[in-house]
This record gives sequence, structure tokens and C-alpha cells, in this order.
Amino acid sequence: MSATTMPAAPAAAPVPGRRALALWIGLLLILIAAGVAAFAYQFATGLVVTGMRNTVMWGNYILFFMFFVGLSAGGLIVASAGRLFGVKAFKPITRLAVLEATIAVVLAATFILPDLGRPERLLNIFLFFNPTSPMIWDITIVIVYMGLSAFYVWLYARADLARRGSWLALGTGTSERTLAREERLKSAMAWVALPAAILLHSITAWIFGLQISRGFWYSSIMAPMFITSALVSGMGLVILLALVLRRLGRLRFEDDLVAMLGGLLGTFIAVEAFLVFAEYLTASYPGAPEGAAVARMLVGPYAPLFWFEVGVGLGLPFVVLAIHRLRRDPRAVAAASGVAILGIFVHRLNLVLNGLSYANIQLPPGLPVGVDQGAGTSFATSYWYVPTAVEWLIVAGILAFGALLFTIAVRVLPMQEPEAH
Amino acid sequence: MGDKVSPIAALSPASRAWGEIGERSEHPRWGMVVDQERCIGCWSCAVICKSENDLPLGMWWNRILTEGDALDQPAQARGEALEMHWLPLACQHCENAPCVKVCPVQATYHRDDGLVMQDNDRCIGCRYCMIACPYGVRNFNWGAPVRPTPYETGMVAARPVGTVEKCTLCVHRLAEDQVPSCVWSCPTGARVFGDLNDPEGRVATLIRDREGFALLEEVGTKPAVHYLPPRRRNPL
Ligand code: SF4
Ligand code: SF4
Repeated sequence: MSATTMPAAPAAAPVPGRRALALWIGLLLILIAAGVAAFAYQFATGLVVTGMRNTVMWGNYILFFMFFVGLSAGGLIVASAGRLFGVKAFKPITRLAVLEATIAVVLAATFILPDLGRPERLLNIFLFFNPTSPMIWDITIVIVYMGLSAFYVWLYARADLARRGSWLALGTGTSERTLAREERLKSAMAWVALPAAILLHSITAWIFGLQISRGFWYSSIMAPMFITSALVSGMGLVILLALVLRRLGRLRFEDDLVAMLGGLLGTFIAVEAFLVFAEYLTASYPGAPEGAAVARMLVGPYAPLFWFEVGVGLGLPFVVLAIHRLRRDPRAVAAASGVAILGIFVHRLNLVLNGLSYANIQLPPGLPVGVDQGAGTSFATSYWYVPTAVEWLIVAGILAFGALLFTIAVRVLPMQEPEAH
Repeated sequence: MGDKVSPIAALSPASRAWGEIGERSEHPRWGMVVDQERCIGCWSCAVICKSENDLPLGMWWNRILTEGDALDQPAQARGEALEMHWLPLACQHCENAPCVKVCPVQATYHRDDGLVMQDNDRCIGCRYCMIACPYGVRNFNWGAPVRPTPYETGMVAARPVGTVEKCTLCVHRLAEDQVPSCVWSCPTGARVFGDLNDPEGRVATLIRDREGFALLEEVGTKPAVHYLPPRRRNPL
């Protein structure tokens, strides 16, 4: 790679045909329509159409909310830390990481809507703001962060947009001086974006970690653990997207970068595994009630999920990324990234399920389920939460919405960051 | 809640007197004691609660837990003796209420007299309060209510779908100087309602004399509901 400044996007190499693109967008639109229809149905009927009940009152939507907050924070931490500490090698993927962070946080915010029993009352959050609620601070930071990251995306694209003569550049020039000013602005933004990303995911962790009623979550390690899991999943997704864009000819970088990012991902995975171990050891050692929740996680009905998290989510990608030869193979790194992302998803699933599986007062007959059970009992001491088709349709619709945003963004915005000056 | 006409005015003087709250301090903090020695696990209070507050099928504000591993089964404790005790459980009206702290829109809040109230016209249905409550006493309106009869039996208005509800300590009855319905209806008189701030009142005296305790004291919620442990153990 030679050029000092890239004129707009690199020449489209093997761009998939218009047909493939149209098919892809058509598919996404169908999924979005199905999701909207499912949401309308849920809105009209109530959350009874989900698998959630009084016994397990948070499910898929919250899970995906956390997951996407993590993907977002991870992406932006990598991008802004690279900028702050002057890691030149990160340059080719900076724009991608910032874009990924922006779209992921938009999706996270979208996932809040279907989770509410009364989504039409959402504005109450601003009218009756309760400062002692972690949730209110999380929603606040999500909104602030959404603005910040969108601004960051635009800042990175601005010079190129100006070169293209797009009005989106909002009147910046392409002279050396304005470019230098932009660079300073980008560095300044990194100072804001890094703490914002860390706050974003820490506050999300505190939604859970501050609740003494849920011994399984009530732990000071929650926020650090959320940050490392954000780094693993965010880094993993950036690697995957970068490789896809390179394949599509939208981004150029050497395999060296993949190996380097892979090494970093491996390190993040190791730290994550360490924190997970430290947390569960501390919880189970005293043999107190929280230990019972850990025991359930290790050998109970959800145990396969936990062992999946450990073996496939953490162990496997770590081994792949630790082996020098494999790390130099982009396909191996891509595969490791994929399973690591899946592992983090399952990690969050385990957190939610096991946190809710243990009531403080475990006496029979348990909690009222909350809906008519016909001839059966309306109480349950434990409950097997399985998301319903409606929940999956809504999730699929929101995911498709994200994919659509990303597809449009990478076609409109120049993704390649000019080489260092 | 509460735009219904109360039938309390129509009660006979004797019935009225039976349900009167009685003495209180200048600034009452309402509370309750539940005597585990007296409770026979009959579920009367749980059932009258459903009718008083018009709870749909599947929902309970007040429920009767059995101590031990199985419902209405004696448990083995202290040596070989079998014994059987119940733990009637509803909202504890915590002074340091986690549900009040976490509600993003202040839809659940404290009244001056310590009651933890729920504003169902404001609640956005995020269910964070259900996560935060250590006692598992909050119910969500998952869908349209299903009732065993087409008649609304309750003395208070029904709550809308998509919001959370829980025990109000029959706040509509307190307004007419009457104890909550679970209290007057208990066949063994296991529940006593009164002012926790009145050191000489019945509630405070019972808690003192009988070594009353609060549930999950270790989580620091400072409940307004206290329990009196059984003194006589009646081995079966
Ligand atoms: S028992 Fe639960 S619902 Fe009632 S005040 Fe305490 S935390 Fe809130
Ligand atoms: S469900 Fe309603 S009352 Fe409970 S925390 Fe959310 S808004 Fe507040």
C-alpha cells in the first residue's frame, strides 16, 4: 500500500453483482417487515406472547440489549484506544470499528422498545427521571454515546466526503490546514469516546451488579467483566467485518494486521476467562446461597450452556489464537472470532438465566407465574425460559435492520482511512 | 386506582368496629406483624386479597409459603420431630425499598406513611422493580386479564396490561380507617396491623415481646412487615 491519501473509496474490485445486493437487501427488508409485524402483534396482545413470566421476567430482549451494548463498547474502545496510544497499525480498521460501534448501539437502543410493557410511555423516562435508577443512567449514556459515535463516524468520513463534493461534509475544505485540524479533532474525540465507551458498558453492568436481591449478579467484578467481554465480542466482530469488507474490495490491509488483532483478541479472551473464574470461585467458595446458583450453573439444567461458554467460547478461540501459525491464517482468525462472539453471547445468556434462576425465598409453592394456567397451579419455584417465535421474529427484524444500516453505510461512506502522514 | 364506591359505609357498626385500625401516633408508619404460631396455612387472606383487589387468574399479591421443601407438608427439624409452619408473603413495604430505588420513572414510590405505592398510569413495564425486589412479590400484567367470572369483584380499579402491580396494604381501606382485608379476615387472628412508630402500640409491642423478625434482614430493606416466630413447637 503506497498512496498517501486515498481519493474516495478504493476502486471497487470484485463487488458482488447488483443482483446479489438486491437479493440481500430484499431479504433484510422481509425480515424487518416480519419483525415489525411481530412487534405490532406483541404490542396489541401484551408480553404474554413471549416466554417470559413473573419467575423469569427478563429474557431475549435484555440479552440482546446487553450483547449489542458490548459489541458497541468493544468496537469503540479498540478504535479510540488505538488512536489515543498512537497504534498506527490500527488505522485501516478505525473507521470500520467506529461505524460498527455506532450501528451496534443503535440496535441496543432498539432492543429496549420491545422489552417494555408500555413502549408508548417511553418518554416517561425523561419526564420522571429517577436519578437512583441504574437503568435511567444506562439509557442516558446510550443516547449520549449514540450521538458521540455517530459524530465520530462522520468526522472520519468528512474529509473524503469533502473531496467528493458531498454536502454531508458540511463545509469543510481539503486543504492541509483543515485536514490537520480534523486530525486534532479526531484525537480529541478519542479522549471522549474511550471513557464514554467504558462508561456505557459499566453502567449496563451495574443494572445487574448493584442488585443485592440477585446474589449471582451482586459483585464488584461485574463491570470489569462486562468490559472484557465487550472487548472480546467487539474485537471479534470488527475482525470479521474487516475480513468481509476486504473480500468485497471495500477495505485494504495486510494479513499482518489480522494476526495482530487476533493476538489482541486472544489476550482479551484470556483476561475474560480469568475474571469469569475469579468471580465464580469467589461466589461458590463460602458455600453460601449464591454458591447454589453457581452449582446450578455448573451441573444444573443450564450447565451445557456454561460448558459451551468455557470450552467453545473461551478455550477454543484462545488455543487457535495462541498458536502462531494459526494466527497468521485469516480464516483461522475469522473462525476464532466467530466462536468467541458466540461465546460472549452465551456468557451473557448464562448471566441472565442463572441470575434469575435463584429466588431468595425458595419455599414452595414459589412465585405466581402471572398468567392463567388453566387447571394447573399458578405457582412455580423454577421456570424454564424458552423464547417464543414472536421474540425471535422481533430479534431477527432488529438484526436485519442493523445489517441494512451497515450495508448502506459501507456503500455510502468511504471505509478506507488514508495512510499515515 | 380506586375510583370505585367503597361498601365500607354500608357495614354494620359491629363489622366496622372489628376492622378499625385503632390507636396510632402523630406520624404513623403503617406496618404489620404476622404470627407464624397462629397461621394455619388456610390461604383465606390470599383469597380475600384476590377478590378485594380484583386479581386476575395467575396473579397473587399475597401467598402462603410452606416452610420446608414441599407445599403443605410437614418438615423435619430439630431432631426427629416433624413440624409445619407457614410464611404468608406479600409486599414488605420496605423502608429502604430496592424497587423504589431502581424504577426509572418513579412509578413505584413511598408515601409519607411508609407505604410503597405503584402508579400504573406511569409504569413503563420495564420490570426492573421485579428484578430488584428480594421477596418476589411483584406481578406483571403479561396480557389481558383472565377472570373466573365476568364480574369485577374488586374494590379498586383493575390495572392496565403491561404494568406491574403488588400489595398496597389495602390503601383504599386505610383511607376509611379500616385494616387491610387480609387482617380482618384471618380466622386465627394471625395478622395485626398498626403503627410501627407508636412504641406502645400493639404492633411494636408484639415485635418486642415476641422477638419479631423481618425477612431477609441481611439485605437491609427494613421491611414494615414483621414475623413472630412460633413459640410452641407442636411436634406431630
Ligand atoms: S417487598 Fe419488594 S415490592 Fe415490596 S417494597 Fe420491598 S422491594 Fe418493593
Ligand atoms: S416495571 Fe414499572 S414500576 Fe417497575 S421499575 Fe419499571 S417502570 Fe417502575
